[in-house]
Amino acid sequence: MNRAVIEASDEPARQAAQVSRQKKDAIFELACRVAQIAERSRATEGASLADDALAERRKFLRFGLDLMAQGADAERLDLAYRHSPVTLDLDAGTRLELSATREGLRAISAGEHPAFVLRRMTAFLGPEYLDKASAWLAARLGKRHRKRLSLLVPGDLPDLLRNLSLDPASLERVIRAAGWDLSVAAIAGCAQESIDLVAGFYGKIGAATFEDDVDYLRGRLSGDDIGQAQNAFLEVVKNLEASGELELGSEDEFSSDPAFVHELTRAVMALDDKSLRAVFKDGDKKILARAMQGLEPRAHERILGLIPSRVSRKLLDAVDDAAFLPSREVLEAGRTLAHAVLAQAALTRYVPREALDAFERVRDWTAPELPEA
Amino acid sequence: MIRWNADLAKRLACSDDERRALGPLIRRFIDLARKSRKEGFLSLEADAAQSEDPLLTVGLRLMAEGVSGETLEDILATYLFASDEKGWPFLRACATVEGLLSLSAGDESPLMIRKLVAYYGADRALAVLSELEAAAP
Repeated sequence: MNRAVIEASDEPARQAAQVSRQKKDAIFELACRVAQIAERSRATEGASLADDALAERRKFLRFGLDLMAQGADAERLDLAYRHSPVTLDLDAGTRLELSATREGLRAISAGEHPAFVLRRMTAFLGPEYLDKASAWLAARLGKRHRKRLSLLVPGDLPDLLRNLSLDPASLERVIRAAGWDLSVAAIAGCAQESIDLVAGFYGKIGAATFEDDVDYLRGRLSGDDIGQAQNAFLEVVKNLEASGELELGSEDEFSSDPAFVHELTRAVMALDDKSLRAVFKDGDKKILARAMQGLEPRAHERILGLIPSRVSRKLLDAVDDAAFLPSREVLEAGRTLAHAVLAQAALTRYVPREALDAFERVRDWTAPELPEA
Repeated sequence: MIRWNADLAKRLACSDDERRALGPLIRRFIDLARKSRKEGFLSLEADAAQSEDPLLTVGLRLMAEGVSGETLEDILATYLFASDEKGWPFLRACATVEGLLSLSAGDESPLMIRKLVAYYGADRALAVLSELEAAAP
């Protein structure tokens, strides 16, 4: 039985369910404010807490912020709340506000991401506030302008992350085993390509939280700190591999089949201007960007030279955003492109035979069987 | 340390018929674990969207956001902490949290089943364990 169940047997806490909707809405607004305080505190190393305490009107929050501004840690904060006369003889709504506030301040004190602060606090309000909190976070995190500080620590980690990404569950398993903090610290020393790769394994809010934490640590950790985190992370991978819990893919899985790249390039080069322009102008840029990883540079030049500059900018953005793909995904994207071209060709009469034949071969291309290990 | 107390036992009390409904819940977690091992936690967002159990939805969405370990346990504990359910709904909520934490920890099916059959109570747990293990692929 987990700790959660044991704590849930606490009788007074259950009065939360008796709190009115209006009071819960007010606590939700408070939680959003605390998440913003957390954000400012992280950005200023806690220097903003004194100003936030002065500006705050809710007494529990002001009390805690004031203590934190004076240097109180989570333990001292807990003690202070427990013994303060303002926390005695409270009605259910006020007690719920106090519990949520303490939880939020504990998370700020631990330097947690504002998204975690909000999730912790709104949990007191019940599952019906999950969507509201998600919407608030998505709106807030979506507006981020990241500084994209660069702190590259040379090592094997980028190759390893690329390898782990071949199996969606492997990377998660490693991050779970290493823990969020160590993982973020290790990956903070990698190039943006690796960060995008890892962020792609989370939902929208999780990806933004991860990128925020990477930025946060890049501003605080030295190259040595990150190097140590990377070594510890690699050690976790090694242990998981040794215990049979993790199987790393082969580096060959990233090398696109040269025959496929040649065939796809030949197909694109043989296609008439009008059809090529139509497919790349109207097609899904994300899929086209992925397919372009299976094309030789001369095909890139032809495509970018044919489409309007507005469209080519969008396509180049999608190319920049796309992670480096394993060969089977490049093959899949190339086949999707072939389907799109052949569908377009069915509507016109001017597509050269050579291009049609080549795209049909690409469409029907099958991945070679991997050799036995 | 597990601190059993009379209040907890009273709150979890429910009939044998109600407890039998834990079987489908446990099988669901085994399926979710299998899916997450193959496709990752992000793939469970679809299950979260289809779920009619609010606590399961919360847990799966938090996991897709990358929340794990103690933070996940703390947050799920708070959801239980703030509810006033008792009897079968509370037992089901506790088993759901246990299943979510096991899923997040990447437990293999045998360990996950052992953690969850405890909610049947000591007298039924062993019999149910044999049934579930015989049925598990």
